[in-house]
Amino acid sequence: MTMTINDSTYTTETAKTKRRLYMELENCIGCRSCLAACTQCGGHEQRNRNYVYDVNPLVNRQTMPLMCLHCVDPACARSCPAQAIQIHETGAVLSALVEKCIGCQNCTIACPYGIPKFDEEENLMYKCDLCIDRTKDDIPPMCASVCPSNTLQWLTEEEIAEKQNRHDLDNEKWVTSMPYLEGETNVKVNLPGILQGTVKLF
Amino acid sequence: MQRDKFFREIENVTHPNEKLVKTHCSYCGMQCGMNLRVNTITNKIIGVEPRYDWPVTVGKMCPKGVTAYQQTNHDDRILRPLIRDDASLKGTKEGFREASWDEAYDLIAKRFGELQSQYGKDSLSVFSGVSMTNEKCYLTGKFARVALGTRYIDYNGRFCMSSAAGGFLRSFGVDRGSTLPWTDVHETDCLFIAGSNTAECHPTSMFRVWAVQERGGYLIVADPRETPVARRADVHLDLRPGTDLALANGIVHLLIKNGHIDEAFINKHTNGFDETKDLVKDFTPEHTSMITGVAVEKIERAAEIYGKAPNAIVMFARGIEQQHKGVDNVSAYTNMALVTGKIGRPKAGVATFTGQGNGQGGREHGQKSDLLPGYRKIYDKEGAAYVSKVWGIDPEDMPQAGVSAYEMFELMQEKTIRGLYLLCSNPAVSAPNLNFVREALKNLDFMVCGDFYLSESAEYADVILPSVTWSEDEGTVTNLEGRIIKINKAQEPIGESKPDWQMQVELAERLGKGKHFSHLKTAKDVAEEFRLASKGGNADYYGATWDKIDEQDGVFWPCKDAEDKGTPHMFLDKKFYHPDGKAKICALPYRPPAEEPCEDYPLRLTTGRVVYHYLSGNQTRRIQFLNDMCPEPYVEVHPVTAAKYNIEHDENILLFTRRGKANYKVKITEAIREDTVFVPYHFGHDESINLLTIAALDPMSRMPEFKACAAQIEKLKSGKVL
Ligand code: SF4
Ligand code: SF4
Ligand code: SF4
Repeated sequence: MTMTINDSTYTTETAKTKRRLYMELENCIGCRSCLAACTQCGGHEQRNRNYVYDVNPLVNRQTMPLMCLHCVDPACARSCPAQAIQIHETGAVLSALVEKCIGCQNCTIACPYGIPKFDEEENLMYKCDLCIDRTKDDIPPMCASVCPSNTLQWLTEEEIAEKQNRHDLDNEKWVTSMPYLEGETNVKVNLPGILQGTVKLF
Repeated sequence: MQRDKFFREIENVTHPNEKLVKTHCSYCGMQCGMNLRVNTITNKIIGVEPRYDWPVTVGKMCPKGVTAYQQTNHDDRILRPLIRDDASLKGTKEGFREASWDEAYDLIAKRFGELQSQYGKDSLSVFSGVSMTNEKCYLTGKFARVALGTRYIDYNGRFCMSSAAGGFLRSFGVDRGSTLPWTDVHETDCLFIAGSNTAECHPTSMFRVWAVQERGGYLIVADPRETPVARRADVHLDLRPGTDLALANGIVHLLIKNGHIDEAFINKHTNGFDETKDLVKDFTPEHTSMITGVAVEKIERAAEIYGKAPNAIVMFARGIEQQHKGVDNVSAYTNMALVTGKIGRPKAGVATFTGQGNGQGGREHGQKSDLLPGYRKIYDKEGAAYVSKVWGIDPEDMPQAGVSAYEMFELMQEKTIRGLYLLCSNPAVSAPNLNFVREALKNLDFMVCGDFYLSESAEYADVILPSVTWSEDEGTVTNLEGRIIKINKAQEPIGESKPDWQMQVELAERLGKGKHFSHLKTAKDVAEEFRLASKGGNADYYGATWDKIDEQDGVFWPCKDAEDKGTPHMFLDKKFYHPDGKAKICALPYRPPAEEPCEDYPLRLTTGRVVYHYLSGNQTRRIQFLNDMCPEPYVEVHPVTAAKYNIEHDENILLFTRRGKANYKVKITEAIREDTVFVPYHFGHDESINLLTIAALDPMSRMPEFKACAAQIEKLKSGKVL
């Protein structure tokens, strides 16, 4: 069972211009600025909440960020016996409530992407909250603000639709834009291959 | 001004009891905009917030920028002047004691005075840097010539931008690092990037680079390694280190052969085409391929794409410039733009990725051994007379030109130079052939170092003067576009630290030169004098007032007066800065690297940066996040080469050249040529790769050949990975 919390500052006005986190994995240059920036958000206490992987370290320099996808029906929250993981009305799956989290780590196991991190000392789970104190006002999260390669972007629904259109190759085998991964997600991901459909200028 | 498709109006987040101070990053030439978060109760810098309204970088920052704020209140800051009485401890961190400013100044004035009266004015030297404001760079040049009266001043730009400067001066008659604003980059049709690890060294250029490809444009990258930007290139020209001149000549050969040249432009606006055409005749794709090791088809494809592109930008960086033919490389790649006429209009031109924050401005205003403010040559009588007037000195007293950075160490070794004032630089890590350079520093009779951390070079000092970080002072810097921007003060200097300009004013007073300096009470005072001193020179900043910089999101030089809005695009009138108004297409015969591989040293060693560190690492190695990401150097080796030496990933090996040796962990990667090994240069003491590099200097720019020398690997018995 999950809960949705209401935030009075989240008005219908902002709901209209609602943006989402969108990722173009192929752009990633492995700078890990997203990790460094994650600590800068209010309440993040200098702990970053995302990951960047070397995809094929002995071979090339391809890297990719692994971010919380803010699932519509999140496994982490479903697995939490203490209802410590709440879902904000923007769809953001929040970090565990300090007073509720019992440190059982069910969520870290349940999440198909291994997103929730665990602080042994505090006996507390912490995860990406989509920089809720920014994104509730439609201000881009820290990671997407700083990402130098536009791997992480903060886009409107229309802009994402446009991206999806452009990158949908309609080739049965493989489309670059996936509507959702494990289940429906609030974050949209564009897998490697974004340039496949590009028409060259000359 | 210059707001493009990436620009969005976004409000910043301000937390309770916090204010934001608009400024720019302390590190590279991108000079990303940032807001420093300042606690309004403690008045201390506590964090960073993106600066979405900065048109060049729209809030983006690399991890160095995100964590830059952590420098200011870092535990390693030097808070009071330090004196070391026991000279036998030079080269170590030991033996320093805290002292008052008075005691430090008195000691410096006494020792400098003694040296100069015994060995002459030129026994003192100043070694400076360009990771500081124009105001500081300007005053350092004046301090050397007026307060010390020495000819020996030079700076770390000799290890960074001097080849680009030399090449642009020869090709265009003026040295502005980019002929166009960065807001043009994503709108061009072809980027030809040579010797730039853009994604790691200038990361916030990358969203524009990728955007070229997204629009259907092309990306060509020349680099011995498949760097993160080369990974996605349409053509990756994977050349041998040190063979750029052949590659550039080969491309120009094909541009001519394929009829991709603009004859009208060549005839009207350039000189030197016929000689160049003659010279590149030999650089057929086959010949070029033989020298560079790049496949013939790739060379042909790259030339075809660049030739056909309606608009294209040629970009380069230290990879081509840090060679003993760096100036020739710059002019040779610039030839591509000149023979095709892809210059002097929006979306087409030539640019170098400036390394240091103020690598552009800092080289223009008198820290270079032969330059005075406004890019005036010191031996140009008229220019020197003008600057003398601004400085209030007799032109007769203007010292002559000195020598370049590396050559100063040679003079220290032979005791021509006996005293040194070092600031804003860490040559004990960043200079080539370090065994020699460190000896030379040890050999000094007296050394003063201004820094905010105890750098590896400060370990050789007798007196350390605590300077401030960029966030505790204000002034201007000139970014890689040639845009003059404003750095703002976010916090008062901690401890007793002071800005370098203030130390120089106070020291000048001790040295009896107060009348030339005492009127400079604020950074703004220095700025006003500096603008005047640059007036009428090629790099004219006279019209670039701080107000105008604020109003216009920066001012591109030249900017001559109050009405002049500055010059975002160079050469729009197709007028170049040589006396006849024409650019020079240069015929440049190929020369191999100074040291070619041989039986004893069969590998090509090249060096460079990683995204987590800046220059000598004196700042970034102290930032926990950055150091966690890259705590030590390593040597990149291709798996085929690793197999030959029977070495494994993570194994510790000995790497050596004719000059030095060091132990490194092996990092196996297919993203490097088999004949090349790479080591990042940000590390000190025994870990410095510059113990191994060669000091072969470019004849014009005096740039050492950091990017190519011959090396060998030895497997260690103890090196096995467990
Ligand atoms: S900031 Fe962007 S480019 Fe850098 S590692 Fe993160 S996702 Fe990749
Ligand atoms: S959205 Fe915010 S909390 Fe989540 S990974 Fe990005 S910076 Fe961290
Ligand atoms: S180091 Fe350069 S790219 Fe990184 S944030 Fe600073 S100015 Fe920008």
